[in-house]
Amino acid sequence: MPLVRIPTPLRPHAGGNDSAQAEGSTVGEVLNALTSAYPDLRSRLFDGEDLRRFVNVYVNNEDIRFLEDLDTPVAAADEVSIIPAVAGG
Amino acid sequence: MRFRALGEEGQRRLCASRVTICGCGALGTVLANHLARAGVGHIRVVDRDFIEIHNLQRQILFDEEDVASNLPKAEAAARKMRAINSSITVEAVVTDIDHTNILDLVADADLILDGTDNFETRYLINDAAVKLGKPWIFGGVIGSEGQTMTILPGKTPCLRCVVEDSPPPGMTPTCETAGVLGPAVSTIASFEAIEAIKILSGDFESLNRDLIMVDLWNWSFRQLKVAGLLGKVDCPTCRRREFDWLEGRMGSHTTTLCGRNAVQIATRRADKLDFAQLAAKLTGIGSVRHNDFMLRFETDGHEFTVFPDGRAIIKGTNDIARAKTLYAQYLGS
Ligand SMILES: [Zn+2]
Repeated sequence: MPLVRIPTPLRPHAGGNDSAQAEGSTVGEVLNALTSAYPDLRSRLFDGEDLRRFVNVYVNNEDIRFLEDLDTPVAAADEVSIIPAVAGG
Repeated sequence: MRFRALGEEGQRRLCASRVTICGCGALGTVLANHLARAGVGHIRVVDRDFIEIHNLQRQILFDEEDVASNLPKAEAAARKMRAINSSITVEAVVTDIDHTNILDLVADADLILDGTDNFETRYLINDAAVKLGKPWIFGGVIGSEGQTMTILPGKTPCLRCVVEDSPPPGMTPTCETAGVLGPAVSTIASFEAIEAIKILSGDFESLNRDLIMVDLWNWSFRQLKVAGLLGKVDCPTCRRREFDWLEGRMGSHTTTLCGRNAVQIATRRADKLDFAQLAAKLTGIGSVRHNDFMLRFETDGHEFTVFPDGRAIIKGTNDIARAKTLYAQYLGS
């Protein structure tokens, strides 16, 4: 099962976990499975069916926007990372 | 100079180059320190703020005397930088960077460095850099985590290619809710500084092409591949050349300040405020004192810091509307 890396600000909405395994053969399926397990996450990641514009998703280290977006295929050994923009400084 | 990749020629180029550091807080002081010591010939430091005691935890150029002297950050940083390296020229600009002044602040610079703490100013820097075709380096830090990316307009994705929109308030931690660790800031600013040295010395080959993401507490270091986004995403900024921040369509002029329980009201007037006159008006309502750079006025649980251009930082509230009312009440509009 692919592993999803959850960023610090979203961990409180994912049972405090920094990662979770979720079933699926595409990024979209994996994130749907994740947000079924943690419904609180849904509105923080998605606006309707689309990812929110300030949330970027990477498969391994590649941005899915230059792969196939939510249709990007993922294998069991892949890592899906949710990367929010870091604002402070 | 002994470092081979830099060499004498590289050092000569550093001495002949100009940078603008936007923001002189946590990231900005580390950047200013490194670049002054590296011998960058002309450094312009721009910041809107004054120094407070809680800044000293991470803003490495400042000390308790600067707090006692009520110095603006840009001015205090410039004094330290001149003391560190008398052979360079340092220019302090005390102003709020906005769409009316950014082009003037960066037009003559070879490179723009991000020492800010907010995405609004970063998108504005990004607009100016893309419009002028100037390199700039983004850095952001919260808690023990940070990100940085080097942007060469036209050659690498810009900030808006990678971060299409900034997180809305409440959706993201701020310095106030999550804190920020000095070493994390130093790390990100040092990454920015080394990239700056490469650019200014002319070594574009060795630059970072990724979005770097570090978490120092958990020892993670990631290089996220973003180079492929250039031309792939329909970026409003670098592809369509719509400069929403630079042209004033995006971005407010009144902002809550990260981690400070304070609001900044950025009205700008053409004529300079007469502090003596204003002080006379406010005496009796609360305590008031002023120097050349600012007027400080305290009343009823609120502290106003007023700058000569009419801009004010009002402490004791996070509520923009309330702050505007207070501004109008005590300072007039
Ligand atoms: Zn772009």
